[in-house]
Amino acid sequence: MNRKKFKSSKKKGKQSNFAKLSIFQPSKYKFKRKCPLSGKGAPVVDYKNIKLLRRYVSENGKILASRITSVSLKKQRELSISIKRARNLALI
Amino acid sequence: MNLYEHTIVARQDTTPSQIKDLVEKYSEMVKKNKGKIIKTENWGLLNLSYLIKKNKKGNYLHFKIEGNSKIIDELEKNEKIDLNLLRYLTVRVKKFDLDTEYFSNTENKKDSNFKKNANE
Repeated sequence: MNRKKFKSSKKKGKQSNFAKLSIFQPSKYKFKRKCPLSGKGAPVVDYKNIKLLRRYVSENGKILASRITSVSLKKQRELSISIKRARNLALI
Repeated sequence: MNLYEHTIVARQDTTPSQIKDLVEKYSEMVKKNKGKIIKTENWGLLNLSYLIKKNKKGNYLHFKIEGNSKIIDELEKNEKIDLNLLRYLTVRVKKFDLDTEYFSNTENKKDSNFKKNANE
């Protein structure tokens, strides 16, 4: 009996995620954008490449969320590690 | 044989001659422990994004080293006690990309950016 209830609540959870997402991005814009870092000619994510890292850091130096910059999860992990290394060397 | 990228930040007021013998001292240490220095880069005087020991700027030195981990322990042991060093960072890498120069000094920086934009 509760399996049916559980299934319906899962579906509802998904919709509220979409609602949350669309607040930050114009919806047609958000779901079409592919990850800018994992294409073919994408720049290399590296702690020395501060020109690229600065694009994914807010003005006061905080790492932007991947749901705002639409970066794939794999690249977001590399990005956060290299940003932390650049911070350690006082490059960012 | 592991590949390491070793970066050190020297104090603001280190003279170029001091930097040269810093480079020699550490590359000598790597050679002594049967390591090999593939490339050394001098990124020059860069602005630090926050104050480290009251220094606004820092001289950045970058080594690409091939060798086992004993070399790095040896290097870092000496760098800890070296007074005119502010920071050191060692990163183990799978492979080096030797051609991209992110911090090359200003005059060929412009054309390196130009070259990079051309093939991007």
